[in-house]
Amino acid sequence: MSLVARAKYHGGYSVFGRALLRAERIRSERQLAKPGFWRSEHQAPPLNVAPRLKELISRHYLKGRFAEGARKVAWVTSGAPIEFLTALDYFLIYPENHAAVCGIRRTAEELCGVAEDAGWSRDTCSYARTDFGAMLSGRTPVGKLPAPDLLVCCTNICQTVLFWYRVLADHFKVPLVVIDTPFVYRKVGDHDTAFVQRQLEEGIAVAERVAERDMDMARLRQVTVAARDAVKLWSEVMARGAHKPAPLTAFDQFIHMAPIVEMRGQAFTVEYYRAMLAELDERIEKGVGALKEERRRLVWDNLPVWHRLSWLSKRLAARGVALVASTYTNAWGELAELIDPDRPLESAAACYIHPILNLGTGRKLDTIKRLVLDFDADGVILHSDRSCKPYSIGQVDQRARLASEIGAPSLLLEADHNDPRAFSEEQATARLDAFLEILDA
Amino acid sequence: MAGVKPAIVQPNRTEWSLFVGPTAGLWSATSGSSTIARVNHATPAIPAIPSRLEAIAAYRAEGGQIAAVYPYHQPRALFRAFDILPVEVWGPAGRDPTPADAHVQAYVCTIVRCGLALQLSGGLEEADLLVVPHGCDSLQGMGSLLIDLLPPRQPVLTMYLPRGGAGQGTRFLADELAVMRSKLAEFTGHEPDDDAIMAAVLREEEADRRFAELLATRERVRLSEGDFYRLVRTREYLPAERFITLADEALAARSEEGCGRIPLAVSGILAEPMALLDAIADSGAMVVADDLAGIGRRCYPRGEGDDPLLRLAGTLLAAPPCSTRGDAVAARIDHLVGLVQRRKARGVVFYTVKFCEPELFYLPLLRKALDAANVPTVHIEVDLTEQLPHQAITRLEALVETVDLAEAEG
Repeated sequence: MSLVARAKYHGGYSVFGRALLRAERIRSERQLAKPGFWRSEHQAPPLNVAPRLKELISRHYLKGRFAEGARKVAWVTSGAPIEFLTALDYFLIYPENHAAVCGIRRTAEELCGVAEDAGWSRDTCSYARTDFGAMLSGRTPVGKLPAPDLLVCCTNICQTVLFWYRVLADHFKVPLVVIDTPFVYRKVGDHDTAFVQRQLEEGIAVAERVAERDMDMARLRQVTVAARDAVKLWSEVMARGAHKPAPLTAFDQFIHMAPIVEMRGQAFTVEYYRAMLAELDERIEKGVGALKEERRRLVWDNLPVWHRLSWLSKRLAARGVALVASTYTNAWGELAELIDPDRPLESAAACYIHPILNLGTGRKLDTIKRLVLDFDADGVILHSDRSCKPYSIGQVDQRARLASEIGAPSLLLEADHNDPRAFSEEQATARLDAFLEILDA
Repeated sequence: MAGVKPAIVQPNRTEWSLFVGPTAGLWSATSGSSTIARVNHATPAIPAIPSRLEAIAAYRAEGGQIAAVYPYHQPRALFRAFDILPVEVWGPAGRDPTPADAHVQAYVCTIVRCGLALQLSGGLEEADLLVVPHGCDSLQGMGSLLIDLLPPRQPVLTMYLPRGGAGQGTRFLADELAVMRSKLAEFTGHEPDDDAIMAAVLREEEADRRFAELLATRERVRLSEGDFYRLVRTREYLPAERFITLADEALAARSEEGCGRIPLAVSGILAEPMALLDAIADSGAMVVADDLAGIGRRCYPRGEGDDPLLRLAGTLLAAPPCSTRGDAVAARIDHLVGLVQRRKARGVVFYTVKFCEPELFYLPLLRKALDAANVPTVHIEVDLTEQLPHQAITRLEALVETVDLAEAEG
């Protein structure tokens, strides 16, 4: 690593950048506290921790601007075991999260176009196309993405990420660590977890070689403790949605999940969710809901429609519909009990094989049913996501089972998590309205 | 046209609805006779090959059972050691996917939708067992649906194919095969010992060797495009020993030289709709190099070692680089470019199924590498429920003309 790059990192991020972002956060907090600032007719003001979240995310990407040459950079999939990378002081970039940022900022379509011009089909995942577009054009709403020194791909969310990371490895010519997690059709076998653990051990060896340092097991335990604590807190944050009125919605979760995905294993992430939980409890105590009037409660299944997040949240809020839980955000909170800092590798193997996307359609149905019952929801919106087949296959029958087994009506909403061209606002509006009328009937 | 031609066996409705692929004789009514006339060889006297239904009936008559096996990689030897004939389900093309459309979205590929439709409409009733190897996200979803939400009357077995390379993968896959072995023992009520499994492994390796040799010497095999593929695709359902007999006859009847057609390579998932092969023949070309996931990428090498399951796992993972195993881009490029060069193919047809993500991710990089090697390519995307579009034929002809022109210009 170069001295110049380290000096730039220290000056640009650690000194000036952090100070500027802190000042921006304080300004936002003051603005938020001003009477009359929030004018939405249907939605409660954002959480007071929102400026802090913005600061965390901005800091993260600001670090990225200066990271190249100053720190080892790893690009990782959203479900990957990252504790060993954090313990080795890698700076982590999550291409999926970056793609989601592009989706929210409405730049994904343009970036997908760049990838399509280079030959990638519109039938491939729109996250991948967004990131290929950014990789090929250098354009990104976050300023600059540091090139990776290492790629880590875990197949516990889909096989698509493996093809995606093969392309990245070919482009960047850097080592790719694959943590392959056998899909759990029924139950996990001993040979499954043993396989994952062996790959983790091999992955650590590669990461040590690239980082030119040895793993400090005490540091790994420390990171694992922080990861476990953050996951537990995130789980509690989501559980607060069970209160009536719900103090936060799944739309809030989609935004506030960024630290649990991108900054797991960091002490500041634990502090952040602790503060968020305290604020939610305060809202509950005061009877403040995320919606000014909560008339219906729904569960969301699948990834968010990032490019229509604001539109959908306002549309539902106007009808008094709160999304009180989501299978997607739940995935980052439900496995806390499997994380054991005293057995960091063994427990990581057991934990990272179990995300909802690595489980069969029946297990996913069980999760949706549990959320409906625990959160006293009136129904479910199943986002049929053109870009995410593993999440979407099974929804048609899950919908029928939800009705027949627990009497929960549900809507299959056709969209794409990042490509606005695969979404019809008119059609979605008509279907949502019809579904809500059925709920009201 | 010289040579002996067996009676054409017309596929009946039951056969077509049972399993995809060759159901008639080698010279079937679908494309055989006219295509053969275009091959510059004397047609050899190869006996008609059995249909899937005939193969199933014959196996049953000897007391065996039948497994319907979805794509891609599967442990044939393990099934055979339990006296189960694995019969593969690829689509079938032309199948009405409506029964599956009530369960899976339209953006799922037609290999899965047609395969599920076949099962849901009773087309796999002849099978005693369903097997869904883990081939991709969509096959994973279908396997899970069959286990959890749409259970058929037969047991459903799955097998996870490890990604990320042979190292740890071989050991894992051997363990996975051991789990399958115990499930098959439970299902059949008997368990073959290691020697019996090893015997089956060795027999399948012999069949694999013939399979690879047929593909490697395609230019000299005196069969039309359609018939050649019907022959090699019997590996999808014939017992190894019967495939060996057929293959040996075709290999023995090889000519000394090639037939002088424009040599092409084909890459993608499967040779369906097989109308593409007719179109290739009609344009004056022939496929001399196969990189299809269902065919050329299942040229398994001879195994190593005395442990039958480790050996079997090793061969499954040592097949040519494949998108379904998520192999490295460089490995796929090296293999495909090498294959093209070795077989002297002068163009590559990428024949993919719509919505097949595994193939679509690699495609731009494979085409770029071939372009750098001055090998022209064309991408033809199909939906198994549709006919080969005329536009695809036009594009294929344009590729052949480009290749032809390049040769004429030296």
